[in-house]
Amino acid sequence: MKRAITPIINGDPVELSVAPYRTLLDALRHEAGLTGTKKGCDVGDCGACTVLVDGKPLNACLMLAIEADGCAIQTVEGLQDASGALHALQEAFLHHGAAQCGFCTPGILMMAKALLDETPDPSDDEIRFALAGNICRCTGYTKIIEAVSAAAHALRNAGGAR
Amino acid sequence: MSFDVIGRSVKRNDVVEKITGSARYAGDVRLPGMLYARTLRSNMAHATIRSIDTSRALALPGVKAVLTHENVPRVLHYGSPHPRSASLAQDQYILDNKVRYWGECVAAVAAISEEIAEEALELIDVVYDPLPVMATIEAALAAGATPIHDVGPGGNLVAPPIKVRRGDIERGFAEADLVIEGEYEGGRPTPAYMEPNVCVCHWEHTGEHNSAASDRSGDKLTVHISTQTAFMVRGILAEVLGLPLNQVRVIVDHMGGGFGAKQDLFQSEFLCALLSRETRRPVMLEYTRKETFLGGRSRHPVKIWLKQGFKRDGTLTARQARVVFNSGAYGSHGPGVTAVGTTAMTSLYRCENIELEGMCVYTNAPIAGAFRGYGVVQTYYALDIQMDEAAEQLGIDPALLKRKNAVRAGDLAPSGHPLVGHGLEDCIDRGMQEVNWPKTRTHQRSSDGARRFGWGIGCEMHGSSAYPGIKEQGNAIVKLNEDGTAVLLTGTAGLGTGAHTALAQIVAEELGIPFERVSVMHGDTDTVPWDIGAFASHTTYMGGRAAQMAATEVKRQLLERAAEKLEVAAEELELRKGIISVRGTDIHLSVAEALGVARGQPAAHLVGSATYTPTKSYSFGAHFAEVAVDVETGHIEVLQVTPVHEVGRVIHPLAAAGQVEGGIQQGIGHTLSENYEIDPVTGKSLNAGFVDYKMPLSMDMPPIHTILLETAPDPGGPWGAKGIGEDPIIAIGPAIANAVHNAIGVRFRHYPITPEDVLNALRAQKTEVA
Ligand code: FES
Ligand code: FES
Repeated sequence: MKRAITPIINGDPVELSVAPYRTLLDALRHEAGLTGTKKGCDVGDCGACTVLVDGKPLNACLMLAIEADGCAIQTVEGLQDASGALHALQEAFLHHGAAQCGFCTPGILMMAKALLDETPDPSDDEIRFALAGNICRCTGYTKIIEAVSAAAHALRNAGGAR
Repeated sequence: MSFDVIGRSVKRNDVVEKITGSARYAGDVRLPGMLYARTLRSNMAHATIRSIDTSRALALPGVKAVLTHENVPRVLHYGSPHPRSASLAQDQYILDNKVRYWGECVAAVAAISEEIAEEALELIDVVYDPLPVMATIEAALAAGATPIHDVGPGGNLVAPPIKVRRGDIERGFAEADLVIEGEYEGGRPTPAYMEPNVCVCHWEHTGEHNSAASDRSGDKLTVHISTQTAFMVRGILAEVLGLPLNQVRVIVDHMGGGFGAKQDLFQSEFLCALLSRETRRPVMLEYTRKETFLGGRSRHPVKIWLKQGFKRDGTLTARQARVVFNSGAYGSHGPGVTAVGTTAMTSLYRCENIELEGMCVYTNAPIAGAFRGYGVVQTYYALDIQMDEAAEQLGIDPALLKRKNAVRAGDLAPSGHPLVGHGLEDCIDRGMQEVNWPKTRTHQRSSDGARRFGWGIGCEMHGSSAYPGIKEQGNAIVKLNEDGTAVLLTGTAGLGTGAHTALAQIVAEELGIPFERVSVMHGDTDTVPWDIGAFASHTTYMGGRAAQMAATEVKRQLLERAAEKLEVAAEELELRKGIISVRGTDIHLSVAEALGVARGQPAAHLVGSATYTPTKSYSFGAHFAEVAVDVETGHIEVLQVTPVHEVGRVIHPLAAAGQVEGGIQQGIGHTLSENYEIDPVTGKSLNAGFVDYKMPLSMDMPPIHTILLETAPDPGGPWGAKGIGEDPIIAIGPAIANAVHNAIGVRFRHYPITPEDVLNALRAQKTEVA
């Protein structure tokens, strides 16, 4: 009953064998061994499972793994560059105190990445709007907004988003 | 005093893992052969189980074990594994032949996949004999109400009522020029931490295969779990499952929030362990979000009657209150919350004549437990709003009335010992200055369309540590390696607050070495010293002090060794920034040199340990909030908050401010929108999910201008540091309610204040005027 799929996860083609009802989130966490992406609700309400599918942010709990066959998937584990250097967003989260328990963080990082890819110079309101579907229960969002804004600034100075 | 490490926002030692996705939470644990468990929950709020038939579920291929009340040990235990104290109730079984709330767990299945386990749940046949449902305080306290438990003092009380008396209440009211009384009510917010409850248990049988199943001498139970209290989880698992402590190992690496509630046990820990024992395989039991609502913990809903007397000049003469907390189906922290919340009303605003009564009632509702602010959120909401009412009637500015009556040095704290410093006055003064009060309140922005603006102030104080309810203990071991790096071993959990960073800063400061040279080992009960757990805003205060004491001991040994090398007395040495020098000379050596090999002496590895048993310190806060109330939609928007907190000594400014901002988020939530609702007739849960349980998110959060003061350091904390975890959730509620009154002239005495409440009140106001 299981089906073989080959998504490109963080740049590498990965062959996975998944049941047809398996969500992309469970396939990432269980089959691909990538547990950085979190499950906060499993029904599309919290954004903890946000990943980029062909560059677009999606709730991995709402997508079937078989639909991701051949798609390019980026997860939090793929944010650093090949040398392991932190992405500007990760740096900013570290320095601005934007992660507390960290459970929302991977999803928020990916959502913010999607925002900055499209909108390199977002206003605070645009950042808040982009993160409207990502629940963080620890930070009050103050430092998350600061961090995304700082990362945008750093990326612009460095000559554009990766 | 000048410091090298504390007081700076050093790079937190737990964040790189979190931002790269490599941090391991309990739900990320994968063990070979691991099974998946799911739980069956009751669809009745009060019933006895007539029969429960699991044969069809067991016959499903892939199902490995099914547990019901018929095949688990029947041991009466506490819902929260604290050391035995009056704070808790002993009223739970792993599974009982009775259910007491809608959604209580009645069976658990382990299978080779979550899907099969889920399918098996549908094959379990339960027949219930319904009992009367008493979902409200009134129903449970009614004459002749069916007892929900056969333990406890009876009458559906969780514990005997708390009574506090000081001075002469009659005389106090007789002396008053103004007497105000009112009824206040609090809803049922839940912590809604982002990581659902989860554990992975592995019960290994290392003894002889042919030994009797009851021979547990070679067994080892390893539990990966998201908990604030690893050692207490170990203790209660050992007790209930009949294992010695050294055969139970509890591991907590990262956890996705707890906010107090993850001090409890959620049935799942026992069930997961027993499923593993039964199947001889590791088992993961992860609650869904819905189950985390159903089987989790909420804040205690409350009803408060409060009456106070004032002199014309604003002096308080009397305070009388009756507080009734709704514990839900089990006692959990009910007695503790009742004691802490009720006795909190002896303080904040000084008053000599006091009479208080606090009760905690069983109902057929979801279980209330420990949640940031522990009873004090509820009682200070009432107290602080009533102060605002008094200010209005006395014609005194509310901030000045609160300041006039603010508790101060020498006043008796709720814990019964004298307060240190003038923290509350300092917070009020600084906040008034910062927002330009009272001008800012008396000269509101003029209304803008349907929006009316208002400012309010709310105040609070909160203790670090659960003393005197629980005599706590923090332990630490500090190891100084021969190269001058150090390792702190601590049992405190890392909820996400940055506590381990603060503890490492404290050790680095005390040892006079850079922060980067201190690493922290935590979260494994087989390795680190016992700790009571991370709660009661005490980690920095208590765990931090223990870490400091252990570092002091290491430093003493280090200086002795250096003194020998330098051939001077240890008293002549000082240690700073990794250098040991002889005072008043330029003779010095580095920490690594002092520890290193010399004259045939091997390099030293120094170990210091310490135990700290604290009493209690109090932190203070005043929140100044501006709101806009839309008189057409009833929507209340918080526009800005200036929270001022007095915390004795700030160890990590960024992390401390993060606590304040997050606390305000949850406080705005319970004040305006968050309420976990149940049907009052059936007890059925109505909004167990993130769509219907409304929390403030990125678009709802206002700018927050946090100010931290260090004006009243407490001698019990490291360099005077006190707690900050719970404080920020307390003052924001009354600040908002008072601001709403300032904006539209309507006095709300409950939370959450919904748009519907606002519209109804405005309608009533109009009728009154007409
Ligand atoms: S886990 Fe996917 S949105 Fe919550
Ligand atoms: S950091 Fe804990 S949920 Fe966002």
